[in-house]
Amino acid sequence: MKAVFIVYNQALTERVAYMLEQLRIKGWTQFPLVYGQGTNGGEPRMGTHAWPEMNSSTLTIVEDDMVDLVLKYVDKLDHVNQENGLRAFVWNIDKMY
Amino acid sequence: MSIFSSAVEKPISTLMVFVAIVVIGIYSYITLPVDQYPKMDPPYITVMATYPGANATDIEQNVTKQLENQLNSVDDLKEMTSKSYDNLSVVTLEFEWGVNLDNASNDVRDAVDKSMSSLPDDIDRPTIMRISTSMMPILVYAVTAEQSYSGLYKILDDKVVMRLNRVDGVASAYVSGIAERVVYVDLDPNKLDAYNLSLSQIGNSILAENMDISAGSIKVGLEDYSLRIEGEFDESEDIKNIALNVGGKTLKLKDIALVRDTLKDITLETKVNRREGCVLLVTKQSDANAVQVASDSRAEIQKALEELPTDIKFQMITDNSDFIIKAMNNLKETLFYALLFVVIVVFIFLGRWRSTFVIALTIPISLVVAFIYLAVTDGSLNTITLMSLSIAIGMVVDDAIVVLENVTKHVDRGSRPKEAAKYGTNEVWTSVIVTTLVTIAVFFPLTMLPGIMGIFFKPLGWIICICVSTSTLTAISLTPMLCSQFLKLRDAEEETKGNKFSFYFWSQKWLHKMDNFYERVIRWVLRHKAVTIISMMLLFFASLLLTKYLHTEFFPQNDMSNLSVYAKMQQGQRVEKTREIAMKVDSVMRARIPEIRIITASYGSEETASFASMMSTTGNNVFNMRVRVLEIKDRDRSVFAIADEVRGILQEFPEILDYNVKTGQNGTTGNTVDVEVFGHDFQQTSNFAVKLKAALADVPGAEDILISRGDDNVELQLYLDREKLARHGLTTSGVGSLVRNYVYGYRQSKFKEDGEEYDIIVRLEEKYRSHMSDVENMLITDGYGKKVRLKELGDLREGYSPPSIERKSKQRMLTVSITPADGYAMGDIAEAAQAVINQMDVPQELSIYIGGSYEDQQESFAGLAMLIVLSLLLVYLVMAAEFESFLMPGIIMLAIPFAFTGVILALIITQVNLSVVAALGALMLIGIVTKNGIVLIDYINLMRERGYRLTEAVALSCRSRLRPVLMTSLTTMLGMLPMALSTSEGAETWQPMGVAVIGGMVFSTIITMLIVPAVYAATAKSGDRDKKKSEQKQYRFMKDFDPERDLPEHKKNK
Repeated sequence: MKAVFIVYNQALTERVAYMLEQLRIKGWTQFPLVYGQGTNGGEPRMGTHAWPEMNSSTLTIVEDDMVDLVLKYVDKLDHVNQENGLRAFVWNIDKMY
Repeated sequence: MSIFSSAVEKPISTLMVFVAIVVIGIYSYITLPVDQYPKMDPPYITVMATYPGANATDIEQNVTKQLENQLNSVDDLKEMTSKSYDNLSVVTLEFEWGVNLDNASNDVRDAVDKSMSSLPDDIDRPTIMRISTSMMPILVYAVTAEQSYSGLYKILDDKVVMRLNRVDGVASAYVSGIAERVVYVDLDPNKLDAYNLSLSQIGNSILAENMDISAGSIKVGLEDYSLRIEGEFDESEDIKNIALNVGGKTLKLKDIALVRDTLKDITLETKVNRREGCVLLVTKQSDANAVQVASDSRAEIQKALEELPTDIKFQMITDNSDFIIKAMNNLKETLFYALLFVVIVVFIFLGRWRSTFVIALTIPISLVVAFIYLAVTDGSLNTITLMSLSIAIGMVVDDAIVVLENVTKHVDRGSRPKEAAKYGTNEVWTSVIVTTLVTIAVFFPLTMLPGIMGIFFKPLGWIICICVSTSTLTAISLTPMLCSQFLKLRDAEEETKGNKFSFYFWSQKWLHKMDNFYERVIRWVLRHKAVTIISMMLLFFASLLLTKYLHTEFFPQNDMSNLSVYAKMQQGQRVEKTREIAMKVDSVMRARIPEIRIITASYGSEETASFASMMSTTGNNVFNMRVRVLEIKDRDRSVFAIADEVRGILQEFPEILDYNVKTGQNGTTGNTVDVEVFGHDFQQTSNFAVKLKAALADVPGAEDILISRGDDNVELQLYLDREKLARHGLTTSGVGSLVRNYVYGYRQSKFKEDGEEYDIIVRLEEKYRSHMSDVENMLITDGYGKKVRLKELGDLREGYSPPSIERKSKQRMLTVSITPADGYAMGDIAEAAQAVINQMDVPQELSIYIGGSYEDQQESFAGLAMLIVLSLLLVYLVMAAEFESFLMPGIIMLAIPFAFTGVILALIITQVNLSVVAALGALMLIGIVTKNGIVLIDYINLMRERGYRLTEAVALSCRSRLRPVLMTSLTTMLGMLPMALSTSEGAETWQPMGVAVIGGMVFSTIITMLIVPAVYAATAKSGDRDKKKSEQKQYRFMKDFDPERDLPEHKKNK
């Protein structure tokens, strides 16, 4: 099992949800409002006067064979408009209840 | 922290807040005055001007017209009517209800001042009078006496009236219908002639003798005396011994005149149950508590009775407070039963005592706040306010029910009561507030009603808004708090097994069956949407066709166990003949109508145009009767049926030309259709009125058709020859005043005794002035001191004088008024009258309108129609905001027409007339009916959002919402049931509302539960779910995704 952590501009919330639904990924946890900024030119998302936008993030635990599929569509979605900002990170799950 | 979390966290503080509210409420209740209706001042101002010596036409031209021209410009004037009598002009100004009458009377005074310059010079200053309800007596006693009759006035005045005037809140107590004491000096014209005296000489010497004169003071030694000449008569005997100087010799007055200290010759006489008597009236101050004043006054009269001679008997004719108390008790009983029914309904549906208690507790709290409102705004406990509470009772539990139901759901799911109370309330509190807003949207416009409707329905609007708001506040604070304390976590297993014989088990079993049945019905309806919707529409239009069987009336008449009878006979008939017929009518009525308790009859006329003669028509040929019948519970017939029988009796007397039987209190609740005939020419209008009256007599249900213009007065007219007058050195005014002294009497002097003043009337003895020849032979002293007979100065002819002249809006008019018989509605009579008029040949100079109460009714219905439109609009706005949709409110409001269908059916089935009260019931339904729809639609939307398919969502929501909808509807209906069924005192006022609301509710609840789901399903196909899909189609980044190809095996086909 792998954990996929997707961080994205709030504007993409519905599209990410749609993607997960299409990929039949049922379980997920969403953090509706998170702060952050990208390493490679990603604008800060601070919810302040200077940087008013906000990010959201979704953490989903999937089978190993699903990871590439998820990343493929994350990449596609990112390329619709790169300025929105969308990243996904994957790590291992050691144990589960 | 939200209000409900705080309430749950701090139960004691919450409890204390509500205990405080209840305590203040109860205190307010104790201090509230009790009255029949809200305080209202009729917006009438009357201007009266007397111009002695002018006949009605002169008065009209010289006084009335001038006054009218100025008064017409007064602000806020609604209508101006006037009546010109001989010597007297009365202009009545009607203002809009709610106008500040203090300002208005100032304006009127200014206008009268302006008109003074154009009025005749020797006119008395016009008096301006305001009529208020406090002038209406609250207690009317018939007083009879035998031996003491001659002194009755004095006895009552000393012993009773004095005492009553001391009672707190009594404005005045007065005795009417009794002859006053007077001193007559009856002269013999022959003796006057013999001693060469004139009547005015004698009159003047009485006046000159009857005097006290202060003549300064005299100092005698150390003392200072004031000097007085004492001439006033100490007793009436003194008058007899006045010495007159005739040609140097003295003569006593008793030698030439008969001096009588006695009661005035009968003019207006009252008989109580055929015995000599009079009437004692007590009026209250306008802000006094009617019930309190009446009971204090009664106690005072009881005390006074001990001091009175034993032959003086008091009998109650009218006790306004008695009706008020009975009506109030009746309403309180209604309120109690409403409470009981509501609690029973809640118990049946919830099946648990604890829950029922939590709900029931909101009722007293919500209602008690109304008392605080009334105390703060100087209101009173009256039929309107109690009726409002009765209406509110079924509505105030709704919010608490919704909250409790949801909290119970959470508890059953396993939450601790404290958390369940918080979450449960949080889920529903917005929708609870919205339903309250809808109710307020309906009732708040009532508080803006103008006119008399406003006076009646403003308190109703406020009370319901306040009660419902309080109930919402209670539902989101006290109810969750009580839930957290009272509801118990139940063991799930125990619950399902249950005790098979417990009420809870039994009721839930039946309710479950009902739910199943309804779900099957709904599924059928959803499959046959078109059939359902079309058949419902047909039903609605069919009911509209039924409206023609609906009778309308303005305001339901109350059965107050009182009748007033007016009957007119041949013009010029002697009062003795009138008495004879009145007594005959009296005995026939007693023989045929066993319900009669007291008949007070009065006949004859007062000499001078007094205030009393404005209130009721009097005359020598007229008798008025006040009839008191048994209490409602002691008789089978309504007072209206009795009135019809009285009319039948009056018809049997050929002597009675015109009659009128009224059933209202003091004739205030007029219920007549008035046909107003405008036209300048007396002859033409009178002729037309007579023709109209004859034609109207054929209209079924038209009773007591009265023409307002009296018949011409018969009179003897003296035409003086001016040439002869001049020859004798006389003038018309000189002769006139002499003749007036002979017949009417010389009344300059007063006899004083014990602080009271009595007229001394000097005139010819009756036998010398009871023939035309007596008048012709009256001796007049001419300018040369010679005596001349009246017949030598002119002719005496019989003639007719014009009747009193009525005007409205500065135009001459007369009214033909029609009273609808028992069981006939005013609207029908008005229509029939219009049809009769259309068939008649109306002269071009005349214009004809139909007015009276009918006109007020039309105005009020128009006002109510506006109100219904306003309410509909407000309700739509609130709901559109709540659902974020233009369509949903439309679907919900579809139920409203069916509520009206229900009202029409209920009114037709129960034979109740459509009155303002019933219409108000229909208005209330707008709010109650939409509530059901909101509950339903809200839940369907929720289910769809959760992803259920359309029909499934509708069917499931309907099933789940059936109980709350039925529960709230049933509580409202049963809350009204006692009102609809009540038959005792005052019930006529509110019964139509109960009938209308129950009818509308039964019908619309059933229809709402069928047509709203059907229409929802029919319109929502291209609804929210499809919209979401079309939106997702724009997400092109997953265009190439094919689940069958791309997904790993374990994800496929799941």
